[in-house]
Amino acid sequence: MKSSHRLAFLFIVPSLVFVCVFTLYPIVESFRLSFYRMILTLPWLGQKMVGGENYVDLWTDPVAWQALQTTIIFVAVTVPSELLLGLGMALVMNEAFRGRGVLRAVVLIPWAIPTVVSSQMWRFIFNDRYGLFNFVLFGGDTARYFAPLANPRWAMIAIMAAEIWKTAPFAALIILAGLQTISDEVYEAASIDGASAWQKFRHITLPLLWPALLLALLFRTIDALRVFDLVFVMTQGGPADATNVLQFYGYKKTFAEGMIGYGSTIAVTVFMISLVLALAYLRALKSERLQGAAAR
Amino acid sequence: MSRIFMRDLFCIFAILVCLLPRLAGAQATLLRIVISNTDTPQLWEGAIADFEKQNLGVKVIKEIAPNSSTQFHDLLTQKLKNRDTRLDVFFMDVIWPSEFASAGWTLPLDRFFSTTEQGKFLEAPIAANRYRGEIFGVPLFIDAGLLYYRKDLLEKYRMAPPRHWPELVEQAKAILATERDPHLIGYSGQFKQYEGLVCNMMEFILGNGGALWDEQRLVSAVQQERAKQAVRFVRDHIIGEISSRGVLAYEEPESVALFAQGRAIFHRNWPYAWRVANDPEQSRVVGKVGMMPLPAFPGGKGASTLGGWQIGISRFSKIPEVAWRFVAFMTSHQMQKRIAFATGRAPTRKALYDDPELLAKIPWLESLLDTFKQAVPRPTTPVYVPLSNIMQRYFSAALVLPDSKIDQRAALAARDMDRVLDLLRETAAR
Repeated sequence: MKSSHRLAFLFIVPSLVFVCVFTLYPIVESFRLSFYRMILTLPWLGQKMVGGENYVDLWTDPVAWQALQTTIIFVAVTVPSELLLGLGMALVMNEAFRGRGVLRAVVLIPWAIPTVVSSQMWRFIFNDRYGLFNFVLFGGDTARYFAPLANPRWAMIAIMAAEIWKTAPFAALIILAGLQTISDEVYEAASIDGASAWQKFRHITLPLLWPALLLALLFRTIDALRVFDLVFVMTQGGPADATNVLQFYGYKKTFAEGMIGYGSTIAVTVFMISLVLALAYLRALKSERLQGAAAR
Repeated sequence: MSRIFMRDLFCIFAILVCLLPRLAGAQATLLRIVISNTDTPQLWEGAIADFEKQNLGVKVIKEIAPNSSTQFHDLLTQKLKNRDTRLDVFFMDVIWPSEFASAGWTLPLDRFFSTTEQGKFLEAPIAANRYRGEIFGVPLFIDAGLLYYRKDLLEKYRMAPPRHWPELVEQAKAILATERDPHLIGYSGQFKQYEGLVCNMMEFILGNGGALWDEQRLVSAVQQERAKQAVRFVRDHIIGEISSRGVLAYEEPESVALFAQGRAIFHRNWPYAWRVANDPEQSRVVGKVGMMPLPAFPGGKGASTLGGWQIGISRFSKIPEVAWRFVAFMTSHQMQKRIAFATGRAPTRKALYDDPELLAKIPWLESLLDTFKQAVPRPTTPVYVPLSNIMQRYFSAALVLPDSKIDQRAALAARDMDRVLDLLRETAAR
């Protein structure tokens, strides 16, 4: 018994080391740095312990509050849209029809393209002179073409559209996996009882799919909270800071301005928000499972 | 079957990986450089090939940085912050040398780059490369903001080139009203939220007798009336009246493309735009373009932002001597001439402004010498980037939001800038 424990531990060690070096250490280090003032371009000021000063600054920083607001809007719009779209896509892909394999592969393409590449593509789409977006809206009437990325509201819509396009397939994949765990017998039984398609969806699919949906929600929320690459490529936070999400603001502070302490404070804040949300979701997921087990 | 195939493939791959460094030039010294993205890649490739021919045993590995200076900066600072030894030579925008020097990322070049040699370059870019008495870069080419205009259109309406900004707006409005061309706009510049926005706005503000900040007293000046007047003018008359809102998302390439397609009457850009506007392959306005120093506001003095690129050497380079040979090669008289021919970028060596061959090809060069000499550098400081980010935020909000409360936003920007500038005072106190 004991030796098998030891063996198990040995097997865990490599991944444990990996997690410690690449996950735990950066998190701990970010926490530590967030209590210091450290400015790369002014090395003679040194690393000065400033206690909670960075956090007080962040609390009173209007740009950070605006960035938080932007981030929340981004998450609140993109995640539900992705889940709804993903659900629709998964329902279609779950049906048996010719070309299903091809469709499943095609649907995944947006998710497989590196974000930097697809952001670049979306930037072209929203270009004010040769962009597809303007062409779809106005056709050949080039005089009416406008620059979505120069308008605060449109710029936000543009990055959200790019995000939804890219990650709805991911949600679809998780939901599809959930759909496939539901056995056909349940549906057959329902058909015999004379249930309509909507009733089947409402009373069988949705409840049994709930854990998969929650999981997709968890992944997508945390991922959308730390959106960065889209903003970096498409707008650089502009215009007028309209797309300046928290992670991008933190990146600017850390890597462009060299304000390591303050940048770490922003990173830690994003981390804490994600952590709280993740815990809440996990809790919901757990109680969902327990209820499911009890019902059975 | 397929598993065996995979294994074989893996073996071949592993052997190749082990052999590759040996196969590719046994003892070649690798010189790693980061250069800016240009529309003339053949030029850099040719130059690098020539350098390698003159320096046998040196292999140059080049990385091309993003077009935006802001993104170029982020790429470089990440490498330098990590003390990456796989970076030897890099281009620097004119605002970076003091920041990089202060952070200890660039090598002081005084032992290679004598003061006599420095004297052969224009003063302004040399000054931009000095920090606390040492020199950290060699100017490769110089930029200054210029006004381009459609000579043919102004002639058609019997107008002389504008003497000041309000006149430019009047002229553009008059031409737009008669031409009734929905594709034509009055003015294209760089108003996206990035470094170019600071350059453009600084020209308006300085042309109205304002400043970005007071370099002696280390306090912000964007909240002063003259600076605010200029910002208000750009919002209400340039963007609001004669431009399209599209310019609020433009960097240099987009704005010059618009002008070259004959869709803008006036255009603000660096000297290279002359070549673009007169290149039959890219332009529909070849020969119809005029160029002049930027106007001022009535009673003010026109100001051009000093721009341009330098070459510096990383302090973490293991081969500074080889790196210097490359820097010297790229900034030599011969090479600068070649760059000027190929790209229309203005040289930094004074002697080239008397070079008959060059002047025959680029006749406007001589007339621009004064503009280059008077070009105003953005204030040099190690905290330039945070200050610039605050200003970009302020300018962008002031121009993009139609009802922007400029007084409030300027006061807010000034408060933030003062906090950053205070850091320098703290340094001085110690």
